[in-house]
Amino acid sequence: MTQNAEHVLDHFDLFRGPEYQQMLANKKKMFENPRDPAEVERVREWAKTPEYREKNFAREALTVNPAKACQPLGAVFAAVGFESTIPFVHGSQGCVAYYRSHFSRHFKEPSSCVSSSMTEDAAVFGGLNNMIDGLANTYNMYKPKMIAVSTTCMAEVIGDDLNAFIKTAKEKGSVPEEYDVPFAHTPAFVGSHVTGYDNVMKGILEHFWDGKAGTAPKLERQPNESINFIGGFDGYTVGNLREIKRLLGLMGVEHTILGDNSDVWDTPTDGEFRMYDGGTTLEEAANAVHAKATISMQEFCTEKTLGLAAAHGQEVVAFNHPVGVAATDRFLMEIARITGKGIPEELARERGRLVDAVADSSAHIHGKKFAIYGDPDLCLGLAAFLLELGAEPTHVLATNGSKAWAEKVQALFDSSPFGKDCHVYPGKDLWHMRSLLFTEPVDFLIGNTYGKYLERDTGTPLIRIGFPIFDRHHHHRYPVWGYQGAMNVLVWILDRIFDEIDRNTNVPAKTDYSFDIIR
Amino acid sequence: MSSLSATIQGVFNEPGCGKNTNKSEAERKKGCTKQLQPGGAAGGCAFDGAKIALQPLTDVAHLVHGPIACEGNSWDNRGARSSGSNIWRTGFTTDINETDVVFGGEKRLFKAIREIIEKYDPPAVFVYQTCVPAMIGDDINAVCKAAREKFGKPVIPINSPGFVGPKNLGNKLAGEAILDHVIGTEEPDYTTPYDINIIGEYNLSGELWQVKPLLDELGIRILSCLSGDGKYREVAYSHRARAAMMVCSKAMINVARKMEERYGIPFFEGSFYGIGDTSDSLREISRLLVERGAPDELLGRTEALIAREEARAWAAIEPYKPRFKGKKVLLITGGVKSWSVVAALQEAGLELVGTSVKKSTREDKEKIKELMGQDAHMIEDMTPREMYKMLKDARADIMLSGGRSQFVALKAAMPWLDINQERHHAYMGYVGMVELVRQIDKALYNPIWEQVRRAAPWDDASQSWQARAIAQMDAEAATLAADPERAEAVRRARKICNCKSVDLGTIEDAIAAHGLTMVESVREHTEASGGCGACTERIEGVIASLSAKMKPAALVAAE
Repeated sequence: MTQNAEHVLDHFDLFRGPEYQQMLANKKKMFENPRDPAEVERVREWAKTPEYREKNFAREALTVNPAKACQPLGAVFAAVGFESTIPFVHGSQGCVAYYRSHFSRHFKEPSSCVSSSMTEDAAVFGGLNNMIDGLANTYNMYKPKMIAVSTTCMAEVIGDDLNAFIKTAKEKGSVPEEYDVPFAHTPAFVGSHVTGYDNVMKGILEHFWDGKAGTAPKLERQPNESINFIGGFDGYTVGNLREIKRLLGLMGVEHTILGDNSDVWDTPTDGEFRMYDGGTTLEEAANAVHAKATISMQEFCTEKTLGLAAAHGQEVVAFNHPVGVAATDRFLMEIARITGKGIPEELARERGRLVDAVADSSAHIHGKKFAIYGDPDLCLGLAAFLLELGAEPTHVLATNGSKAWAEKVQALFDSSPFGKDCHVYPGKDLWHMRSLLFTEPVDFLIGNTYGKYLERDTGTPLIRIGFPIFDRHHHHRYPVWGYQGAMNVLVWILDRIFDEIDRNTNVPAKTDYSFDIIR
Repeated sequence: MSSLSATIQGVFNEPGCGKNTNKSEAERKKGCTKQLQPGGAAGGCAFDGAKIALQPLTDVAHLVHGPIACEGNSWDNRGARSSGSNIWRTGFTTDINETDVVFGGEKRLFKAIREIIEKYDPPAVFVYQTCVPAMIGDDINAVCKAAREKFGKPVIPINSPGFVGPKNLGNKLAGEAILDHVIGTEEPDYTTPYDINIIGEYNLSGELWQVKPLLDELGIRILSCLSGDGKYREVAYSHRARAAMMVCSKAMINVARKMEERYGIPFFEGSFYGIGDTSDSLREISRLLVERGAPDELLGRTEALIAREEARAWAAIEPYKPRFKGKKVLLITGGVKSWSVVAALQEAGLELVGTSVKKSTREDKEKIKELMGQDAHMIEDMTPREMYKMLKDARADIMLSGGRSQFVALKAAMPWLDINQERHHAYMGYVGMVELVRQIDKALYNPIWEQVRRAAPWDDASQSWQARAIAQMDAEAATLAADPERAEAVRRARKICNCKSVDLGTIEDAIAAHGLTMVESVREHTEASGGCGACTERIEGVIASLSAKMKPAALVAAE
């Protein structure tokens, strides 16, 4: 019986039944021109060798299993952080469906975003009509307070001019004249999602600060005591931004979070669908020009945005996804320096607790080797934390890492005796990582969900930290910043280490003499 | 007198213990362990002592008769290792309830034993008495006897309820139970002239397995180990061994001595911690076996193996020596014999700045002195403040301690390495020594200690607790230095005998006034050492230092 209505098997079990196994085996034998299993095995083993690694690293054109996403994804991420704002992606709608599913799978939340649904006609004649109709429909159907326009490759290749298109659309009455439609060009063939985040963040701030594309007077900066805070493209944005608000609240720092998507990606189930929730208000975004300083938690996510803030006379400070004791110290001290506020006792205690926890357990992490891949700033933040714990971030890889990033990682390695044998790999992909893990094995791998293939193939246990995390739920609700955030990262790492010890000692009557309850 | 109190009295009368034999009849009755101080933080109870001593017997079902507290808190809490059965890790308890307390728990115990035998059929069931059933009068000896007769299986009562005393007493009571009910009850399939017993070794982290291959290579058979990776039957026929090594002197000296008495098995006290100690122990085992009739050539083979293994271990340790240069270790330990660790660390080139002697016997202390010189700085009870000062004054770079003091060390910002039972690395034998050195190296160079010691960046360093503690201590010292009279008063006020609350000044005055030269006479005059007797050595020290001072005076007078 293949399937039985009385007891329906899911895919985990169904295809393991003898009839399916037989069918699949026959198919393979008769139609798939099967190779000699020994030959398959030989090649499999060969792909683990240094010889293969050399060929793998000699790749020039092909990217295999990239650890990065496209600019528009970052664009959408930034845009939903503003109050009642809908991201409008000028280009083909298929792309937009990807961003929505990507975020939904990571945050387990609906993710609203529209496109101008460009088709072949638009590709040939330009997407102006799509922009005109699209803005009108979006405005009427979803009642947003702001429409943030970004682009897909399609629009970029044909060279659609967003500024002119939006102006024309307004003239044609798609949206009211004074309605806010900030925009940014975000072609996927340049940079990655972190670039897209930067472009849209800058586009939105520029819109409010610099005269709304020539339709309003530029704002005159009147410096105040407030500081702006930008999180960057961050899979932990829900937990992190809430933690940042708590920290700044404890310190009594007047602040504006720019691009606060912590609510829209964590809406309550209470009978009401919220297409929009929370976010930086448009007024706050405009007033942010007066801030004393702008602080970015992710340097490589905000290069252009910080340039804009600096050009408006603000002090700018950039961190690299700070995780750990020293990194959080630096972060808080900078806030304290800029604002003149003291560190409250509560934070001092949190610091003490983190130091205590680290000291309690660091022996298990000390001396272990890790491979890390992910976004440039996250890699830096995690590598610094590992070095602080006495671990070696042996391989640090970012597909979207630049040369400047690599130099920064190298400088970090050079600052610690534990960085001596560590290497940084900018612009490499997960197939490169595969060769690294085979030829220079490490104890643990830190990466996103896609790392599970590397874990399976190389046997390197995966600690899931990064974006996207599709196959584990709700970790994005926990912060990784602040002392409590570092505590979370510490616990995730330790959990995996102890899981691994248990896994290595759990065979009854063989290895379980060390299957202990106390670790 | 009930049989339990008789047993306890018997244990107190331990001729194998030097300290004990020096006591008067009356003192001996009071027991050999320090009275627990009500209100003070204390260690484990006698039940716990008995349980941890025997728990590593791997194929035995260890049944705890009592409310959930006793087994609930002690279930599988030791890092011993088994090469066979894992039934020792299953938590068996009668989990008695209020009704049992009112009507007695004996029936429940008997049923529990039956269910264990029916379901698990272990070679033996050990029944541990705890406070509550002991107080309500459950007679576990009788229940075990009935069960033994009914089921035809060894059911061994371990009569060591918590209230009878501390952990160490429990170790000994466990030994008594084994002597009374287990040893000598079975016969081995065969014997060899190379059969030994190892007593008081628990195979924590599988340590014994690091030494066993060496014994295997020499053809020496561990007939029985009490109790690490031990099996019931092995213990039952252990009386056929030719010699014994006693590893943890305080825990099971009664077993070693009585086996010598009853079965003529000579024993020595040795250690596998440290290169020199491991070699000495191997030599001693061989020597005893040869004395008992094993062929002479064993001695030569032993020496060859020692030479080879020592060379290997030294070579492996050598690279660490430059990294350890000038590094000082503060050793605070009870479970692992202090002196054997002292020797081990010195071999690695580390400097010892102190060692705790809380659980060490007088011989241990003598051995520490022998190894570290007369000025061995032994620390009985250190406060975090003092620990931190040692660290601060760079008198110590790392502390080696048991699991409980680790947290004190941490708060004192002192790097530490766990060397007690919950440790995760095995330090026995030659390879164990290399591992210990490797772990110390790791701990010393763990970057987290720097982090732990560094104040938060917003803190005023002069206001940290460390700074305040040091300032306070310095201030106290300065006050005393400026005021010799008060300093003298403080010096004289130091408690020497805690039980009878006698201070140094009183003792000094008595010695000076009456020209006392013996601890006994000091006791007569001041009552000092009339309690637990733990301060005997301190009083000896006072007598010695006073007589040294008085001597020149006497000489002057004579001229």
